[in-house]
Amino acid sequence: MKKLISIFVLLVSFAFTSNSYSKTEIHWWYGNSGFLGDVIIEIANRFNESQDEYMVIPTGKGSYEDNMAATIAAFRAGDQPHYSQVYDAGAAIMVAQVKNGVVIGFEEMAEKYGIDVDADNYIPGIKNFYADGDGKMIGVPFNSSTCLMYANMDILNEVGIEEVPKTYEEFEGMAQKILDAGYIPLLQSHSPWIWTENFFSRHNLLMTDGNNGYDAVPTKTLFADTEAFVYHWTKVKEWYEKGYYGYKGRAWGDNQAPFTNGEAAFWFGSAASFGGMKGVLPNFTTNPIPYWDSVTGGKEYPTFIGGAANWILNGHTEEEYKGLAKFIEFMGSPEMDLYYHNMTGYAAVTKGGIELAETINFYRASPYHKAVGDQLGLEGSTIPGGYRAGNWPQIREVIYENVEPMLNGDITVEKALSNMDKGAAKLLKQFAKTL
Amino acid sequence: MKKVQFKSNYSQYFFLAPQLLILLIFLYWPIIQTFKDAFTMQDAFGFGSQFAGFDNFLFIFSDPSYFTAFKFTIIYSFVITLITGSIGLLLAVQANKVMHGKSAYKTLLIWPYAIAPAVVGVMANYFFSERYGLLHHLFNNLWGFNWYENVFDAYIYVIIAGSWKQISANFIFFLAGLQAIQKTVIEASIIDCKSNIRRFWTITFPLLMPTTFFLIIINITYAFFDTFGIIDTTTIGAPGSETKTLVYKAYIDGFKGLDLGSAGAQSIMMMIIVLVITIFQFRYIEGKIHYN
Repeated sequence: MKKLISIFVLLVSFAFTSNSYSKTEIHWWYGNSGFLGDVIIEIANRFNESQDEYMVIPTGKGSYEDNMAATIAAFRAGDQPHYSQVYDAGAAIMVAQVKNGVVIGFEEMAEKYGIDVDADNYIPGIKNFYADGDGKMIGVPFNSSTCLMYANMDILNEVGIEEVPKTYEEFEGMAQKILDAGYIPLLQSHSPWIWTENFFSRHNLLMTDGNNGYDAVPTKTLFADTEAFVYHWTKVKEWYEKGYYGYKGRAWGDNQAPFTNGEAAFWFGSAASFGGMKGVLPNFTTNPIPYWDSVTGGKEYPTFIGGAANWILNGHTEEEYKGLAKFIEFMGSPEMDLYYHNMTGYAAVTKGGIELAETINFYRASPYHKAVGDQLGLEGSTIPGGYRAGNWPQIREVIYENVEPMLNGDITVEKALSNMDKGAAKLLKQFAKTL
Repeated sequence: MKKVQFKSNYSQYFFLAPQLLILLIFLYWPIIQTFKDAFTMQDAFGFGSQFAGFDNFLFIFSDPSYFTAFKFTIIYSFVITLITGSIGLLLAVQANKVMHGKSAYKTLLIWPYAIAPAVVGVMANYFFSERYGLLHHLFNNLWGFNWYENVFDAYIYVIIAGSWKQISANFIFFLAGLQAIQKTVIEASIIDCKSNIRRFWTITFPLLMPTTFFLIIINITYAFFDTFGIIDTTTIGAPGSETKTLVYKAYIDGFKGLDLGSAGAQSIMMMIIVLVITIFQFRYIEGKIHYN
């Protein structure tokens, strides 16, 4: 009898404990790891502590590609999360899924569940990148970066260079000096993102037909047809042969490591890269990425937004979406936006966040954070603020596949770029068939 | 011959059911799904699915990097089979001669077999790292090794990474094969022939043929399918797409590129290739082997 009673007591107490935990769960999948992943968990924790109706459960799925593949697989199995982080190259695929009822657009969500943050609260460049053809914002801007130039000031001081280069011409002029002092003048971590996509945006050039895919489904890339792009890679190859530019394979980290260890003067990476460098490399600065003076005639244009947005997935209950709406509101608040900007180096994505940063004089205390906003905020571009091209993850692969034989001299620059165009055109056509 | 008679006509199906169910779920269903993917065009989420005929196959055949992957897979499986087989055999013959501490040698040589390919890849990554890799520095001093851009160097990288673990598998089977050879045969041959090497090639090696044949198949399938983890943790297919195996390419296109049609077509091509190799081996090579 005693046994029975104790079992009963145990069961009742279990029932109560589970009762007190019956918050509405909202699943958020992400594709960041390491420090950036920790910050995501911290954001969820802060939200969970701020109220007790809802609970956001963040789950890391590996890289951006891994998370996108996992989200798609989960959707096909009917087990998708509420909220998932998908990167820039996957934006076209996600926007196209609104009509299939996979993705719920931000504006539709805001209207239905009353999110206090409206689309105009996000800064225009970022908002447009994740918007559909009619300008309606679909993805919710989150970690928005762009490529920046990191400079090791100790090396520059040692070789007697006072100003970091603004243009590639200036860089070319100082590279020999750096090389002679025994350092690698330049490294960069992502050929498709930095030296292809953002080469076009930085120089105000169209990358695909159909106005970068904003006016019509693109059928080809304009790599070999763009004189400036051919010129750029011809120069890069020349630099590589002279030792001005060092290529360390495709892995992001392998190209960053020599810079972090003080062996290279300049490195092109993401705005969010400085977190890992602070405290390791004593004296570095973040600067806008250079441009070819001869191409733009001295004008500077903004680069594309990189990084990722969060996407709302269909197929859950009203109650859960109410919670998600609360969470989106929470993340869009000036305080959280600035918190994330400060922790990671990603751009502040809301107007409120930027105002708050100015009010508290944030950039005086932390100049690292300034370059990203400066570069993205440039005006005068006549091209769209992004590209809508499907199968882009594979096109990036095609770009990589041709950069390497180009650098080692197996194929010429012209051949490599026309190979890229050919491979991309095939993939774009393949994507167009599924629309 | 005594026949076992079951009373019921259906009981055999009952006993077969669990096994058949497993085959159905884990083998036939995916195969059917693969065929479906290969002959349809669909977006990443499975919408807009439409019959595409042989479009996906035409798509991969017009892709130069598919042929590069094909070429690499053939070279890779040939070299890995050769290297692992010969080193495994050499080690087995030597270990078979050892008198003292036999089991210690055996255990040490078998150990790498227990390591997962992805872990082997990560280890190789350290050896070939430009920053602190021992082999990278050694080769770099010898001939300016740089796998980031040189195809031959990248081959060396993935071949060493892929062979190391598989040598152990070859070692175990060759050792077992050697120990199965009857002592009397060896002793008789010693009387007839003094030369160790000649005796090995004329007596021992022919007796090992069944093992060798088995290992060739095992090594080829290993290089074809199991090296996925090694490629993914070492070169990720670079430079260009020179070190992508067919499996790795199908993975990249299907899961990173989210193009299931192309990945499905590639899987079917792989099925056909494996089928052809297997038929060829059993038809033409096995006929020349004598089991006992």
